[in-house]
Amino acid sequence: MLNRLNQERIVLLISVILFIGFSVGLDGFLSGGNILSLVQNVSILGILGTGMAIGVIGRGIDLSMVSTMVISVAWMLVMVNDGTNLWVAFGLALGFAVVIGLINGVLIAYVEIPAIFATLAMGVAIYGFGKSFLVGTDVVYLPQGESWFYQIGSGRFLGIPNPVIAFALVALIVHVFLQFSKYGRYNYAIGDNLWTARITGIPVRPVMMLQYVLIAVIALLAGVVIATSVSSMNTRLALSTQVYDVILVVVLGGIGLSGGKGGVRNVIVGTLLIGILLNGMTILNLSYTAQNIFKSIILLAAIVIDTMLNPRDEQTAQHGDI
Amino acid sequence: MSALIEMKNVTKEYRGVPAITDVDFELEEGKVHALLGENGAGKSTLTKMMCGVTQRTRGEMLMNGQPVDFQTPAEALDNGVAMVFQETSLVPSMTVAQNLYLGDEKLFNRIRSLNISAQTFLQSLNFNVNPTTMVGALGAAHKQMVEIARAVRKNVQVIIFDEPTAALTPEEKHHFFSLVERLKERGVSIIFISHALEEALQIADLITVLRDGALIETGPVETFDRERIVRAMVGRTLESSSHGAHRNSNRVGQAKVLSLQNVSMGTIVKNTSFSIYAGQVTGMFGLIGSGRTETAKIIAGVVKRNFLNGGEIRLHDRSVRYRVPREAVRDGIVYVTEDRKAEGFFETMSISENLNMGRLAAGLSQGVVVTRSEMKALADEWTSSLNIRAIDTDARVIELSGGNQQKVVIAKSLVQKPEIVIFDEPTRGVDVGAIAEIHELINRLADEGMAVVVISSYLPEIFSISDRILVCRAGRVVEEFDPLDADEERVMFAAVH
Repeated sequence: MLNRLNQERIVLLISVILFIGFSVGLDGFLSGGNILSLVQNVSILGILGTGMAIGVIGRGIDLSMVSTMVISVAWMLVMVNDGTNLWVAFGLALGFAVVIGLINGVLIAYVEIPAIFATLAMGVAIYGFGKSFLVGTDVVYLPQGESWFYQIGSGRFLGIPNPVIAFALVALIVHVFLQFSKYGRYNYAIGDNLWTARITGIPVRPVMMLQYVLIAVIALLAGVVIATSVSSMNTRLALSTQVYDVILVVVLGGIGLSGGKGGVRNVIVGTLLIGILLNGMTILNLSYTAQNIFKSIILLAAIVIDTMLNPRDEQTAQHGDI
Repeated sequence: MSALIEMKNVTKEYRGVPAITDVDFELEEGKVHALLGENGAGKSTLTKMMCGVTQRTRGEMLMNGQPVDFQTPAEALDNGVAMVFQETSLVPSMTVAQNLYLGDEKLFNRIRSLNISAQTFLQSLNFNVNPTTMVGALGAAHKQMVEIARAVRKNVQVIIFDEPTAALTPEEKHHFFSLVERLKERGVSIIFISHALEEALQIADLITVLRDGALIETGPVETFDRERIVRAMVGRTLESSSHGAHRNSNRVGQAKVLSLQNVSMGTIVKNTSFSIYAGQVTGMFGLIGSGRTETAKIIAGVVKRNFLNGGEIRLHDRSVRYRVPREAVRDGIVYVTEDRKAEGFFETMSISENLNMGRLAAGLSQGVVVTRSEMKALADEWTSSLNIRAIDTDARVIELSGGNQQKVVIAKSLVQKPEIVIFDEPTRGVDVGAIAEIHELINRLADEGMAVVVISSYLPEIFSISDRILVCRAGRVVEEFDPLDADEERVMFAAVH
């Protein structure tokens, strides 16, 4: 029984315990409005986490994700404000994101720079390039008039906030991609063992390119949801620690940084825990610093419990015969 | 003779599953004790308990009559028990000398004096290794020498060798055996885990055979012969099809499938030329460093031959130069690696997923979505045809024994419907029963008309399965033999001189 507990289930269990604890102990936590805002607030983190998961499963990581999100969406809003048609602007922003994904992919797959350094540098480069040439101000506001567009982030469908639906859609598509499509399976194979994947005849480099393009596109979508829910895009977000929250969600859910493990389910579980925790702490009126301390303790606890329950197998850690 | 180490009724369970049960074992002082058994018999588990790598679940361990309980390898080492693993535990980015003294450095070290004392020490063991080279640049045999030297330097009473000769060439093996003799003279007791029965018979004083985690037989070496050991190991008599059996006719090669003309790659492969024919097993023999593996990897696109003056490879009548293995796989050339853990299988995946990866990568799967039932059917077909023993096809490959892992790696390549299969050391780290099965499979493939290449450093294996033997030396194929005419000495002579 005990060894059926893995990190995913532990995190789910902690979430449930926290949820029950907050429900009993905190006034207003269980109210319908709060629950909806809880899920809504973490949807964006969830969408970003889903994208990041693609990279982490393929033994990569994308630290430029938030910069891509911020600059592509801010640029799109600048163009719309200047009178460009919304669809044209979206198309250009999409193209921008794809190009970033391709550059990341070439740097990592062909130039063979470790993903963490390539995307760290790219994140800074994207932000700098965007602020110099594409976006003049720190905050770009949503233009008036395109009312249906606002609905993406702030409206509701059948009483469910649209960001939640957006998260659900992205999660579903990525889940189908990872579990059933050929390239999704290749992604797991590469994360498991790159050399085996190569010898088996898997197109390693093209799949790595695909990873970073998908991540960039998902970042753009997350950005659209943010911009339309708060009616603006603040470019300073790229300088925040949000990308670490995204990694937190992914790792917390049980997608090992060693690659090849986990799936979208893990992102959802990780997002749930962070959502409940952040919401409860906000109601408790804890400071930002205190919240960060709690987040990190939870992450460490999840990893420690996982290592205790699922020790790296003594038998298999040593290569060869029993 | 007193028992130096005594294990009484020891049992080890991994998550409730017993790996060895109620084993009694005695190691006498100054003796070489061979521990034999198939993969999964519990040899490594037993020895790992002696040297503190794992802890026993039940039972007692006595050293010099005193009960001991080693919690860590370091504790065991302090008490004079060292283990030399199959996988070396050396630091690749340090020099030989630094590795030798790793963990015992003084607070300040002069590199020069370190190198000098390492040099003296290595010479006293008659090891020809330069103490200033990086360990990462050494071959498998030299790495092992450093590993052994490190254990000897600690003045241990007991050294446990886990498959010490697997990566060694015959010459180096000879060297290793004389080292064992010298250690014995110094009064060091040795436990020797091996798959190679002849070696055990040659150097051991005592032999213990384990099977399925239980002690089957133990006794002085004089009372054993090859048949008795094999019978004890597998619990049945094997037909002598495994090693050493000579066939009486060769398959005649059909169409020429692949030919290499003056192929070169860096300093490892130099100007080599040969051809491969369908419906035939081509054996490639050579010592480590002779460029066999590299030549095979060039053919399969794993590495690229020189761009300028790299020679030519013709598949049928078409000149090919592969940049990635994918192109070779698509052309029907697959390479079954010698290092299955590093580049053979996907360890987090099940058997069926591993096979499915092979099929997907070869572009043989119709449709975008692969259903679980399709994958299951594929896995069932291959587990039964290759006799892969696992609880079910959803078992993860890392949980299988070495022989079954090897079969999964082979199946993953055969799923790709190749025309040419290159097996690099197909029976390394594989138990006796599975060796016979793999050899049978190789013969079956050739009978079905496939072009099969088998690379091996084990002469009896080469002789028992090859229809023709190519010998590699210093980066090129130097001679071809007919296995019916040639004898082992002539082939070895060609490989060495």
